[in-house]
Amino acid sequence: MASLSIERLKKSYGAVEIIKGVDLSIADGEFVVFVGPSGCGKSTLLRMIAGLEEITSGELKIDGAVVNDLAPKERGIAMVFQSYALYPHKTVYDNMAFGLQIAGTDKAEIDAKVRNAARILKMEHLLDRRPNQLSGGQRQRVAIGRAIVRNPKVFLFDEPLSNLDAALRVTMRAELAKLHRDLAATMIYVTHDQVEAMTLADTIVVLEGGNVRQAGSPLELYHLPRNLFVAGFIGSPKMNMLPATVSAVAPAGLTVSAPWLAPTVIPVNPGGVAVGATVTVGIRPEHIQAGEGAVSVTGTVGLVERLGHQTIVEIAVSGGGLTALIDGETMTSPGETLTVGFHPKDAHVFDAAGEALTRLVVPEIAKVRKQRPAA
Amino acid sequence: MSRPRSRLHDQSRPALALMAPAGVLIVVFIIAPFLLSLVLSFTNQRLVPNPNLPTASVGVANYVRLLGSGEFWQAFRNTFTFALLTVPLQSALALGAAMLVNSRLPARNVFRGIFFLPTVLTMVVVVVIWSNLYQINGFFNAVVRTMTFGAHPGFDWLANPYLAMPSIVLVSMWQGFGFQMVIYLAGLQSINPELYEAARVDGATRWQEFWAVTMPGLRNTHIFVLVTTTILALKLFAQVDLLTKGGPLGSTQTVVRLIYETGFRKGQVGMAAALSVIFFLVVLAISVGQRVFLKEDREVA
Amino acid sequence: MTTRSERLLQLALALLVVLIVLAPLALMVATSLKGDEGRILLDIGSLAAFWVSPGEASLTNYVQVLSSATQPFLRFLFNSVFVVGWIVGVGIFVNSAAAFALSRMRFRGRNLILAVVVALIIIPMEALAIPLLLMVNRVGWLDSYQAQIVPFIAHPFSIFLFYQFFAKLPKDIDEAAYVEGASPFQVYWKIALPLSGPVIATVAILQSLEYWNAYLWPLMVTRGPEVRPVSLALAQFFGTPPPTWGDLMAFSVMMSLPILILYLAFQRWFIQSVVASAVK
Repeated sequence: MASLSIERLKKSYGAVEIIKGVDLSIADGEFVVFVGPSGCGKSTLLRMIAGLEEITSGELKIDGAVVNDLAPKERGIAMVFQSYALYPHKTVYDNMAFGLQIAGTDKAEIDAKVRNAARILKMEHLLDRRPNQLSGGQRQRVAIGRAIVRNPKVFLFDEPLSNLDAALRVTMRAELAKLHRDLAATMIYVTHDQVEAMTLADTIVVLEGGNVRQAGSPLELYHLPRNLFVAGFIGSPKMNMLPATVSAVAPAGLTVSAPWLAPTVIPVNPGGVAVGATVTVGIRPEHIQAGEGAVSVTGTVGLVERLGHQTIVEIAVSGGGLTALIDGETMTSPGETLTVGFHPKDAHVFDAAGEALTRLVVPEIAKVRKQRPAA
Repeated sequence: MSRPRSRLHDQSRPALALMAPAGVLIVVFIIAPFLLSLVLSFTNQRLVPNPNLPTASVGVANYVRLLGSGEFWQAFRNTFTFALLTVPLQSALALGAAMLVNSRLPARNVFRGIFFLPTVLTMVVVVVIWSNLYQINGFFNAVVRTMTFGAHPGFDWLANPYLAMPSIVLVSMWQGFGFQMVIYLAGLQSINPELYEAARVDGATRWQEFWAVTMPGLRNTHIFVLVTTTILALKLFAQVDLLTKGGPLGSTQTVVRLIYETGFRKGQVGMAAALSVIFFLVVLAISVGQRVFLKEDREVA
Repeated sequence: MTTRSERLLQLALALLVVLIVLAPLALMVATSLKGDEGRILLDIGSLAAFWVSPGEASLTNYVQVLSSATQPFLRFLFNSVFVVGWIVGVGIFVNSAAAFALSRMRFRGRNLILAVVVALIIIPMEALAIPLLLMVNRVGWLDSYQAQIVPFIAHPFSIFLFYQFFAKLPKDIDEAAYVEGASPFQVYWKIALPLSGPVIATVAILQSLEYWNAYLWPLMVTRGPEVRPVSLALAQFFGTPPPTWGDLMAFSVMMSLPILILYLAFQRWFIQSVVASAVK
């Protein structure tokens, strides 16, 4: 069990900076997920924590001790790789035992630990098999088992589910969540899949271009994205973002208008935004309903994607396009005119720099953290 | 604020330890003799040092003498004659055999196994068998007599200055074609079968198919086979030493055998070293030629 | 599709090549089984040379070769096996260790060393023989096993083959081992080497054939029968006129049998090794 603290961490290859000064603190027992588009540095950051990549500058502390120059084995971490990295010539048992054998652990103890991990992961019957006799999900379990037997301070996962098929991913996701509850260990998890991030994390760290764009609980990121990048990255379908002009500023909110939008008061703290400024209004597709709403917008229907229980509709409005996630029973087809509505309290406003203005009406749910069973 | 280079990712020490055994052996037994042969080639070093004649530098005298000696040119001529005969004939035979084995022949793996068999035999054994066939009263002369209805008594194959080299070529081909066959087979199997189907749809004959699909598809294989077979041919030694001792009249003397005779038999190490250097340069030129050809091909592709 | 006549032609050609390949071997075996040297000389210029009737076959020649006091066949055979065994056995570890460092570890000068190793592949042994002889002579290694073994253990081409194999292993595997606390030596010994069965086979076969067939070098560094390899022993037996064909062929059969048995058992591996050696 351990806490982790990262201060001004940087990584560069020659003149190219991959990680541009990351600050982060991770509490003992926390499940932290690094997400971001490919090339954002999330894997590099994880590998720096593992000790597989050199730290160019800054400090990495585990339990308060600087570990920058420690070898991976001295950091008390265990890592699960995307490819599982099982040793092809060793049985499942020996794959899990290898690290302990290297450490010179006594045979009986190794046996007890391996069997315990196998029991936790329900794979006692697989111990004599070799990796090529296992399914993808089973290999994944072995890789996790290999981490468990070492009883590490921190578990590191590098996109561990990305090689599994969709159905198995859902199962393994649930198992990982359960594993975290059972072990109560500190876990750091890298993924590009926001569903994994939302469902598993205590804290999501969104990275882009080597910078942390926001770190917070999943619902905080969803309801209170701090900038356009996070707003666009979290949520599917993507948040609608349309330009608008500020026509009035008041403590209760900002009045914005646009060709598609009649003047509307959005309850955000105006901050430094002045009348006449151009801002970006963000509204999530799931906050738009068919028919009139507190604010109504009318446009021409473009693409219609029927998912059954819901329908994704793209609507061309003057000055841009809106995607709406409406109920599955509204009759609409391309070319028709459709009126949709949303509530201004659901809207987000971003200033010219792309930073979010603080929302004044915060849904209660945004404060909810992952629920843990009472100890 | 540069921190001292982390000990974490510099693996020089363990890497050095892992490379040390091979490194020491390579330096002592490959690089040192290589440099030594360069140095010795400018001296009159002898195998058994003569106390009255200490080793001295002779400048380029060894090279000058070599280039002016008929023996030297004859050995090179013979070696290249051997290569010029062996390389095309053996490659063609190997390609033919590979195409047979690559066809829908029944039990083609058995055929492949048999064709490759001579390559695992030691050259000395091959020479023993073939020298029996080449005997004056041997099988080949029996064939010659039968074909000419007894009009021709046959040849002394290995003692005839015109036949000795071709006889050695034949032995070498028999022993070696399986090697090139296997490489051609791999080349043939890497050609996309759809190309053959396309050619057939276009109405190509077998002959046209061979020239339009097979040969271009084997370009890199050809270059590899050509270069390796040439280099192997330049190293010709055992067959000649065993069958003809370089004779008759030096007509089968080869470069490697000349190195051996000069350095080992006559003990003229300096001269033999100069010969070795020239031999190496020829092999080097051919290898570099291969690289250039392969590179050009990649640029075109 | 192949027509019937084409297939018949292919089969005929293939059988012709089989005949050309097998006839000399038949000659070797048939002659070795003819106990009467006079009979051999009688048959030599006819088709009878390629055949021995089962009733006439005898092992006289084999007994003669095996019981010869001046030509200790089994000693020669042992010498060859011993020399090749050491070269290949030690070579696998020495060459794979160097290749592991060059392909999987980070250190300065790695690319330079790799380039040198690759460049050394083209130096033919024949061009080094004379200076090497001088060196071996100086340290008093003439007529010894070590002169036939030590210079050939490190083998740049084998290093290159191992390098290619290791370079293709997924990087995650080493990293997983490092995270688990393994040292580079442990990763080499417990992970990389146990995985390299296919290259070990390739390298072992190629090096075995190369040194089993060695002729020039043993010719220069061995004098007496104590350390002389079997191929050179046959060469000297052959070079002592007049040829006693029965004994020569029996000798040839016996020295070829071990290799032929290995070849028949591992044919696929032999052929794959040759192909692997060509893919550069």
